[in-house]
Amino acid sequence: MKNKLNELREEFLAQLAQVQNNEHLRDLELKFLSRKGRLSEAMSGLKDLSGELRKEAGELANNIKNELQGKFNDMSSTLNSFVAKNNEADVTLPGASLPQGHLNPITLVQNELEDIFSSLGFMILDGPELESDYYNFTALNVPADHPARDMQDTFYVDYKNKDGQYDLLMRTQTSPVQIRAMQKYGAPLKALIPGRCFRNESTDARHEHTFYQVEGIVIGKDINFANLKSFLEIVGQKLFGPNTKLRMRPKFFPFVEPGNNGEYTCFLCQGQGCRVCKNTGWLEIVGAGLIHPDVLRAGGIDPEIYSGLAFGFGLNRLAMLKYNINDVRLFNSGDLKFLEQF
Amino acid sequence: MYISLNWLKDYVKIPSKIKPEDIATELTNHTVEVEGLVNSAAQFNNVVVGKVLEVSKHPNADRLRLTVVDVKKKKLNIVCGAPNVAAGQLVAVAMIGAVLPNGLEIKESLIRGEKSEGMICAEDELGLGKNHEGIMVLRDSAKIGESFAKYLKADDIILEIDNKSLSNRPDLLNHYGLARELAAIFSLALKPYEKMLDRKWKFLSDKENKLEVKVSALDACPRYMAVAVSNIEVKESPAWLKERLVAANQRPINNIVDLTNYVMFDCGQPMHAFDAAKIKKIVVRRADKGETIETLDEKERVLSSDDLVITDGHQAVAIAGVMGGHNSEINAETTGLVLESANFLAGSVRKTSQKLGLRTEASVRFEKALDPALTEQAMFRFLTLLKEICPKMEIVSALIDIDNTDKNKLTVDLDLDWLKNKIGQEIPREEVINILEKLGFTIEDQKSAVLKVAVPSWRATKDVSSKEDVAEEVLRLYGYNNIESRLPVFTMDLPEVNEERKIERKIKNILSLKNSLNEAYNYSFVGEDQLKKMNIDFFNYLKLANPLSGIQNLLRQSLAPGLASNIKANQFKSERFGFFEIGSAFFKNPGNIRKDETEGNFLPYQEKRLGLAVTGEEDNFGQLKSIIDSLFKNIFNQHTEAEFSIIDGTPGWADKYAIAKVLVFGQEIGIVGSLSQEVINNMNLKRGAALAELNFNKLVELVLGQPSFHFAEAPKYPPVMRDVAFVVENKILYNDLRREMSRFNPLIRSVELFDVYIGNKLEGGKKSLAFHLSYQSEDRTLTAGEVDKIQTDLVAHLAQKFEVRLRDF
Repeated sequence: MKNKLNELREEFLAQLAQVQNNEHLRDLELKFLSRKGRLSEAMSGLKDLSGELRKEAGELANNIKNELQGKFNDMSSTLNSFVAKNNEADVTLPGASLPQGHLNPITLVQNELEDIFSSLGFMILDGPELESDYYNFTALNVPADHPARDMQDTFYVDYKNKDGQYDLLMRTQTSPVQIRAMQKYGAPLKALIPGRCFRNESTDARHEHTFYQVEGIVIGKDINFANLKSFLEIVGQKLFGPNTKLRMRPKFFPFVEPGNNGEYTCFLCQGQGCRVCKNTGWLEIVGAGLIHPDVLRAGGIDPEIYSGLAFGFGLNRLAMLKYNINDVRLFNSGDLKFLEQF
Repeated sequence: MYISLNWLKDYVKIPSKIKPEDIATELTNHTVEVEGLVNSAAQFNNVVVGKVLEVSKHPNADRLRLTVVDVKKKKLNIVCGAPNVAAGQLVAVAMIGAVLPNGLEIKESLIRGEKSEGMICAEDELGLGKNHEGIMVLRDSAKIGESFAKYLKADDIILEIDNKSLSNRPDLLNHYGLARELAAIFSLALKPYEKMLDRKWKFLSDKENKLEVKVSALDACPRYMAVAVSNIEVKESPAWLKERLVAANQRPINNIVDLTNYVMFDCGQPMHAFDAAKIKKIVVRRADKGETIETLDEKERVLSSDDLVITDGHQAVAIAGVMGGHNSEINAETTGLVLESANFLAGSVRKTSQKLGLRTEASVRFEKALDPALTEQAMFRFLTLLKEICPKMEIVSALIDIDNTDKNKLTVDLDLDWLKNKIGQEIPREEVINILEKLGFTIEDQKSAVLKVAVPSWRATKDVSSKEDVAEEVLRLYGYNNIESRLPVFTMDLPEVNEERKIERKIKNILSLKNSLNEAYNYSFVGEDQLKKMNIDFFNYLKLANPLSGIQNLLRQSLAPGLASNIKANQFKSERFGFFEIGSAFFKNPGNIRKDETEGNFLPYQEKRLGLAVTGEEDNFGQLKSIIDSLFKNIFNQHTEAEFSIIDGTPGWADKYAIAKVLVFGQEIGIVGSLSQEVINNMNLKRGAALAELNFNKLVELVLGQPSFHFAEAPKYPPVMRDVAFVVENKILYNDLRREMSRFNPLIRSVELFDVYIGNKLEGGKKSLAFHLSYQSEDRTLTAGEVDKIQTDLVAHLAQKFEVRLRDF
């Protein structure tokens, strides 16, 4: 038995030394080491031995098996090593390139904002993109003949109501969700509303008919202008860094009173003036104000008890500033050369 | 809107320490955005007065002339194309380096082979009008070589105001209104408008009056004033008037038209002058349906019964508040005028102007709701100036004033404690009162806790009606930037988490980071042509009433067309790639989102979808199935499997042999399929692609409905693995075979397909499926014999049920 095992060992090692390629190696494995190979076959004879002999032979068999398997493995890795395949290996060669996927930059910026405001205790809310005239305009203090509707050229859906009027539209702003949120949750309320909006305007490098907004509302007792200002400062600092300063000036939006624009010191030049801020040192980013009492009422909230602040900005513009993107149409282009950079 | 600083100075004395830049900044900080400051002289840099010395033919072009122009320092050779150029003329010469108001930069050039060292300018090139019929010939008093700015006396500063920021301020679309703001901001004295008016006129008594005016649509015309004048001479406006209009970016026409425009830019009230010879009577009424009028721009306009018109008792002579009629227009022969200064209802003017697509300086003002008190001021201002321009003019009618406006003053209660709470800091009482009074508000009892604030007529039409509006007035003049910011104090509460958004983000990360897909944001709009190419029926699609183009006029009901376009758009940029999109689809039937205040009114159904697409794989269909399976394992748990089953109806875009329903937990959730060859051809695709579309809302529901996941300890007893390969008819489905195997015996732990073979080793119509089977018990080690027995029975069972046989090669 012992002799047989030793012979097997010699024979295997001799043949292993001759091996040239993986195919030979595979044959050798089948012949000696596999479940039905010669080593197994030899070892199956162990059961016919008895007592001490069996123990001794068994030990030897195991040692030989381990040794042969080890030598086999060494040969296998030698054969398959880089050096074996390439006589002079270049260790600086890269690995195979794996395919990469990419998120749209709007998603990246939106995620960032959602995280900031979630940490401040805001709910993140959605609403329908196909809206009614009521929620998009009327409830937001923009009655039928109000010139404020001039500011928003609206895509109407070709579907007339009982009075023969178009009253379905592609929302021009995320603000209808303000009303829906007030109706659903009441006050107090802190919510961030990101989403897709539409304006009927021809597209060029600076205009898109489909774009993305984010707006925030805070409703509570005694929410005041000083609070609004403070919120806008925080928004600026979170978005553009801790030294960002805010400048406010009046601006008319029908759903707030008072209404204002907020400009932040340009994050690129720190307010020194550069190409991006058109040498003003300021970037116009945010529209804001205290929520108009009529809007609170439309949301079912008593403006004599509660007050609210609202602010909003364009995600496209933020992403364009952040990544230095010069054409707003790229976001919806589905162009791999664009997406692959994010 | 263009505002002239010189014009503003008629009403406020601006101390020299206040620079134009300060005015722009402070107006922006407190009132409206000033978008630009233009020095009227600076725009004429390098433009000088020159004298044409010689004019000769251009050797190579019939229409061009060669001129020599004396600009004092030198004599320039200039090629000129104007027909009216002649020797001896004094002209405006743009020398090399000039950048004209229309953006043209003057360089030395060769024009048809002849050197040209500048340009002789026409009016439009200098921004002085629209005239391009010939070069502008200057007055004889012009001095050769002097700067053109000096000739024009252009020492003005023009403020460019953003019209959009004025949409709520009808009182600011004129110089006096902005002067009032400036006076308030800088605490300067404002000249009362009354001082500009001569009120000593001899109007005819009612008895003598022959001008009949009737307003039969009082609801749309709250006030109508008219006066007839005679002994008018229509001619070119005097220089001061033309200058002012040019500063306001208006083209001078003749003295009468210019004067109506002047008054409008001065105080904000649009006026109209009819030729008195052409109308004897005025009736303001609604138009008849289909009534037509030829407007001043010589276009015929068809009216409806909503539109308000001015008529002579028979036919329309003007569209109220929008534009005058050609039939009553004044011309060089006109000697008498009927002057109109009226107040028309904002909504009515707006509707008409929108419907006709005719926005004019007048309609823009009326539709913002003008102060009815203005009609009277404007009328007297006009007459005052008319007397200057036409000294012989005579009044030949009564001062007609049909006034139905509410004369009650609007008063708002302003509680100073409320104001303090609203702002978040106290503004002293005197400061509040001071600010409001500077803006024209009046407060009778200045000591009371609640101030009774009377709103001036020019702010009371719409703009200021509540205490919030008054608060804004106080705040904006006090200065937004003078308020100290302070964070609100909140009680702690946990906001409701938007689970859908969390899952959405997770899905996006899995698909991009793990499955290497790219996130597309496609438009919500699709076009008929695009859908036709995809063989998609769109009879039931919602349409846009006013699409930007016919290419995108329908609301999408599927993300597939967008994704197919993404594949096409990138097919030459890359070979192997994929996209995904999460977006809404829109349907005609009502959904469950409230539409308005009426109970039971719902918006059209909108469903969020997850769309997927891959191309360039050896097996796109299979690859996409793998991605879906991987997605499910990651959003549900690692034991979840995507199932695919036969679909009843093939969507138009799909290959009918490679389209399947997608299921998870036995629930249908979407479809996956390959593009059919026909669609590939229609779209000119270079390679095939597979698309999938899942109901995102349902996916979210399923994720949220899953019990929370628990780790399962590895079984104590080892599994026994067996491989088995069957040959079956093609029509036998993997799903059925596998389901049968899985439930054949509880000891069969898993059944995993590892090979599918269809080929020439098999007879036609057959396939081979090979599986790894894992047998395992929770309470003992299985013996080989036990496993062999089950497997033998299994094979026999399948042979009987599906006519499978074991693969023997």
